[in-house]
Amino acid sequence: MVVNIKSSLSNLQQNDIQNEKIIIETRNLDFYYTSEKKSLINVNIQIPEKKVTAFIGPSGCGKSTLLRNFNRMNDLIPGIKLEGQILIEGQDIFDKSVRLEDLRKKVGMVFQKSNPFPMSIWENVAFGPKVNGETNSGTLNEMVESALKQADLWKEVKDRLTDSALDLSGGQQQRLCIARALANKPDIILMDEPASALDPISTGKIEETIEELKSNYTVVIVTHNMQQAARVSDYTAFMMVGELIEFNDTKTLFTTPEKKLTEEYITGRFG
Amino acid sequence: MNSLKEYFRKGDPYVLLSSLGLILSLVMVVFFVGIILVKGLSIFWPSDVELVQLKDGTKYLGELWSSEENKITNPDHSINVVPKVQYKTGNRDIYGFDFKWIDKSEIVSISNPADATVFERKEYGNFYGFIKKVAFKGKEYTKNNELFDKATEALDYSENLVEKQADLMKSGNPDAEDKIEKLNAEISSIQILIESADGSLNTFSLSKFVGFYQPNQMNLFEKSIHYLLNIWTFISGEPRESNTEGGVFPAIFGTVMMVILMSVLVVPFGVLAAVYLNEYAKQGLLTRIIRLSVNNLAGVPSIVYGIFGLGFFIYMIGGSIDTFFFSEKLPEPTYGTGGILWASLTLALLTLPVVVVATEEGILAVPKANKEGALALGATKWQMIRKIVLPNAAPGILTGLILAISRGAGEVAPLMITGVVKLAPAMPLDTIFPFFHPDRKFMHLGFHIYDVGFQSPNVEAAVPMVYSTALLLIIIVVFLNLLAIFLRNKMRKKYKSASF
Repeated sequence: MVVNIKSSLSNLQQNDIQNEKIIIETRNLDFYYTSEKKSLINVNIQIPEKKVTAFIGPSGCGKSTLLRNFNRMNDLIPGIKLEGQILIEGQDIFDKSVRLEDLRKKVGMVFQKSNPFPMSIWENVAFGPKVNGETNSGTLNEMVESALKQADLWKEVKDRLTDSALDLSGGQQQRLCIARALANKPDIILMDEPASALDPISTGKIEETIEELKSNYTVVIVTHNMQQAARVSDYTAFMMVGELIEFNDTKTLFTTPEKKLTEEYITGRFG
Repeated sequence: MNSLKEYFRKGDPYVLLSSLGLILSLVMVVFFVGIILVKGLSIFWPSDVELVQLKDGTKYLGELWSSEENKITNPDHSINVVPKVQYKTGNRDIYGFDFKWIDKSEIVSISNPADATVFERKEYGNFYGFIKKVAFKGKEYTKNNELFDKATEALDYSENLVEKQADLMKSGNPDAEDKIEKLNAEISSIQILIESADGSLNTFSLSKFVGFYQPNQMNLFEKSIHYLLNIWTFISGEPRESNTEGGVFPAIFGTVMMVILMSVLVVPFGVLAAVYLNEYAKQGLLTRIIRLSVNNLAGVPSIVYGIFGLGFFIYMIGGSIDTFFFSEKLPEPTYGTGGILWASLTLALLTLPVVVVATEEGILAVPKANKEGALALGATKWQMIRKIVLPNAAPGILTGLILAISRGAGEVAPLMITGVVKLAPAMPLDTIFPFFHPDRKFMHLGFHIYDVGFQSPNVEAAVPMVYSTALLLIIIVVFLNLLAIFLRNKMRKKYKSASF
């Protein structure tokens, strides 16, 4: 396993967080699902723009929770409590002046389980622009095409845009969900274990897509799979029991981790 | 011992029990539908007319209706069986009865005279007899071979004149009165002389007749045609003789209209209530109490809803509408009395719980992933509900509608006090502006059954009518249900669940 990671890392460049422009920043973030259970403990992280950042860690470490706070999906859960700040492009996202819909338009999300709507492929991709007020069908067509192209799905579906999205294969459905998020022209795309339910070939395609996306978008990806983190990400954050243990350039984190916990995790001693 | 244990462990007795339960319900359904089909459809068949002669010389002409055996216990405890037959003899205005029970032992002879004729009249039920003379257009016809044809001709002519007269009356022209008088005289001059079984001669104006036929001369094909025509008259015609004769079209129309109006009212309310309860309300003790109350509302006796409808809709709302908008007509109420709108509203209230519960189930079945997906794309909650939740819950909503129709269409008790009448003077939908009259009283098949079967002056003659009306009501409910099921299946196909 370690060998695998090493081979994935060999062609990675060294990144330096100091030279990056920061797009997401959390300050002393505490998060509670219930008043007794603290799920995020004093998380301070700076996520660089137009890079792929991966969150790794054992189950229940809070990586998904942290991710879902960036577009405030956790707001749906009754009884949650949040302390501290999350800044996106310098703006506190919990500020009253921030419209939730605008935030979610700017910060797109792809879920673990692909969730295409029971509509046509075209309708799925056009959903975001439509709910955000785009009505011109010409513009919508362009948006759908460009989003599908970016998600590497255009060639496969261009002749059957009116077919139900549910007739697509699992991997295609997930790439449709990526296209759907892209159609909103977001700045940031959050991916919550996007390939965990897919076969290796589909996973490979998703990873290729992520690779292409990073020239235009900031991608934050939660993954269980350390090889995947090593393959696709520029930066990696290792979390455990609600705490951010270590955050660094991916190559550095996997080759010379600073913390002992990180080393134990990536060498497979637990998790 | 062990094998017995094994027998129970495998559950064979319970399989047997459950299959018995199923068989029992199936048998009951088949029996129920069968009896209604047979009784409800046989009434339209033109059966032969028999001339019965008794020992004492009296003669009866009529249709064999039913037969039974009376058991009489003698003083020495032996039992005498007395077979009896019932004939529908008609001629109520002359005999004073429609039906006659006759001891079989009294009968000397039974024959089927070819020229025996059944007359359907506008009043007093059927007349059975023989045509002896027809008089119209100043001529009289008495020759046996031409009587029936001439009588048919005379009936057509008479109907024509009546129509003309009605047109003249509608026109309201003052100089039409003379013409009307003349027509009146001519109509009453079209006469037919009929000899009844006992030999008495009766003269009728043909305008009193709906039609006549000679069943003993008809072959199977002619009878079938007559049968289908009878069914068509029943479905499309207006009722006669305090509903025991003629058709039920106004009742069919009223029933369908009311069900549609009810559906239109109940679905939006029920769906909105369910949406609020599931999507907007904070889940807790209060929503649980509300849910429980809604479920329990479904069990409230329907008459209670009727009383509520009378008190709240008719007296309070209807009364207020009258004082504000129709005050010139008071004390004659316009909306402050029963009408199809109030009846539909009452039924909408009655079926609301069903729709709410079914919609809630539909909403709960919408995958959470889809809802989150929509929100994550920047949809507002309302956009998410409209574009994701409601379309996906549509099959559930339609299930609610199906249940509501099934319950609403068959409900009679609350309607009796909110707007159903025995005989409505006008339909709720017609060609007079504003075309739809929600204040009008209406007729309903369910009430029709009750009225004809239990409130009519001539119950015996009305019994077959009860069966045919019941059959019709069942057919309509099934038809409306099928419509909703068809819609639901279409929706299901379109919005099959997104999870894989």
